[in-house]
Amino acid sequence: MNDTPEFKPESPGLEAWRMFRRNIPAVFGLVLLIVIFLATLYGALIYNGDPFDIVWAPHEMPGATPEFPLGTDYLGRDIIAGLLTGGGPTLAVGAAAAALTMFIGISLGALAGYYGGWVDNLLMRFTEFFQVLPALLFAMVLVTLFSPSLWTIAFAIGVVSWPQTARLTRAEFLKIKELEYVTAARAIGARNKRIIWKVILPNAAPPLIVSATLTIGVAILFEAGLSFLGLGDPNVMSWGLMIGANREFILEAWWPVTFPGLAIFLTVFAVSLVGDGLNDAFNPKLRQR
Amino acid sequence: MSPLLEINDLAVTFATRHGEVTALDSVSLHVNEGETLGIVGESGCGKSITALSVMGLIPQPHGRIRAGSIKLAGEEFVGATPARLRQMRGAEAAMIFQEPMTSLNPVFTVGDQIAEAITLHQNTSRDRAFKDAIALLDRVGIPEPDKRARDYPHQLSGGMRQRMMIAMAVSCRPKLLIADEPTTALDVTVQAQIFDLLNEIQRDFGAAILLITHDMGAIAEMADRVSVMYAGRVIETATADQVLDTPQHPYARGLIDCIPALGKSETGLKEIPGVVPPLHMLGAGCAFAQRCDHAQARCLREKPKLINHGHHPAACHGVEEARL
Repeated sequence: MNDTPEFKPESPGLEAWRMFRRNIPAVFGLVLLIVIFLATLYGALIYNGDPFDIVWAPHEMPGATPEFPLGTDYLGRDIIAGLLTGGGPTLAVGAAAAALTMFIGISLGALAGYYGGWVDNLLMRFTEFFQVLPALLFAMVLVTLFSPSLWTIAFAIGVVSWPQTARLTRAEFLKIKELEYVTAARAIGARNKRIIWKVILPNAAPPLIVSATLTIGVAILFEAGLSFLGLGDPNVMSWGLMIGANREFILEAWWPVTFPGLAIFLTVFAVSLVGDGLNDAFNPKLRQR
Repeated sequence: MSPLLEINDLAVTFATRHGEVTALDSVSLHVNEGETLGIVGESGCGKSITALSVMGLIPQPHGRIRAGSIKLAGEEFVGATPARLRQMRGAEAAMIFQEPMTSLNPVFTVGDQIAEAITLHQNTSRDRAFKDAIALLDRVGIPEPDKRARDYPHQLSGGMRQRMMIAMAVSCRPKLLIADEPTTALDVTVQAQIFDLLNEIQRDFGAAILLITHDMGAIAEMADRVSVMYAGRVIETATADQVLDTPQHPYARGLIDCIPALGKSETGLKEIPGVVPPLHMLGAGCAFAQRCDHAQARCLREKPKLINHGHHPAACHGVEEARL
């Protein structure tokens, strides 16, 4: 019937990737992200040295000593070592917080949107309760309550940022559950659980993937913010902690805060580019061949 | 022989902003094993709601079955548990939807979707189900079924997608197949193919078909018996030949007059003047009275009952009085 010569089947995922590849800023973001990721993963092995070790005189200018190209901080700690070892925890906190955000947000949003009625009312009032609390203050309270460690920080960020995801998921579910293929799935005898996770969620995935990506960026900024306020984990080097520890001396030495700040900026920038690229790749209206 | 599907005095209401409206009002019909019953009527007359009621899929939370009974193979399904309804769906009664474009999940391949339907009701492995799916695609006349099974819905034409839907619907060999306007969204040439396929499937699988349509041509081609619906009620019911040759109710007559006939040089297409009244504005009388050429005072006062006035059952005072 349809004898187009070699009409190649293409999965939606593959098609999205083809679209993504054409988006030069997004590919640039992805490459940047991979470079940052590899640098934080292997950098510490190549350039070894404990970031907490005092190795030189404090506030050494970048470039002044060849051994420490980015200089030292107020205690005489090597800034490159800090950047390379601090990236891992920063990214880990961002990813863990985003994962928690997606987990809570998608679960609650899916149930609220799918079941509607009193379930929706209850869950959405609960969501609004979290939404009206000032996020940063609430996160600070949580971190102080549980004593700062990487995981409590990730937990706190996750707990304050899921309402957005829940609302987005609910909106998608409200829209998709009215579509005919959901009724068709019900008409062949699929149960609610299956319809939620295997019929509606895959169709709601594109905006959620975009949102998850952007959440990583927001979570990294959040972690930096908390560390800057002195609520970071003092035992684990992270970019936020570097900024937080050195902020008092910012007028005497600009570099101990600037380089980790730049690292955060580049990472969040890369994540945002990738997120925007995914958004475009999944948006059928922007697909011109 | 007792009927496979028996609906008695079914009443379905919907909560709307105009208050509670009656979408189905004492609808009774039956489908015998292996036969095709056509339900005809304009948009909004309750055809689809009848179909969804049988599947236990009335839109929640606004819709409710108020009264009546739906028996499938002797078992009552009004008030059945959700678990029982779920078992029934797909396995004992399956549905083919109007829009093959929108009734398939866009993110899974067609083979996966049929295999999914099979594994929902049968205890088989995924691989085995996928092979069955390919066999079904072959059965419904899809060329190169092993390749097409790996296609996504958007890569298939409308006719192929509807074949796909039919394959999915018959995957668990249901005794009743509900086809809700299965050809409305398709080209005329494809429509005929789909009807042929449904006839074949009915013969091979021995399934009864409840065909919902607004097209009298489809009735002539497919149906053994017909129930004509108007504003939530069955207003005439008989064999397809009887209804087509000697329609009793003015509405049924109007529908048949609307079929454009080849060769007859008439001035344009015929139509039934007016529209179906909104369900919240149904008065005490016959819902068709406003559009009926033969309406009398009694038609505005009193709802006619579906009674055999000599020829076959029709709900019309005019038919009743003409006989008296």
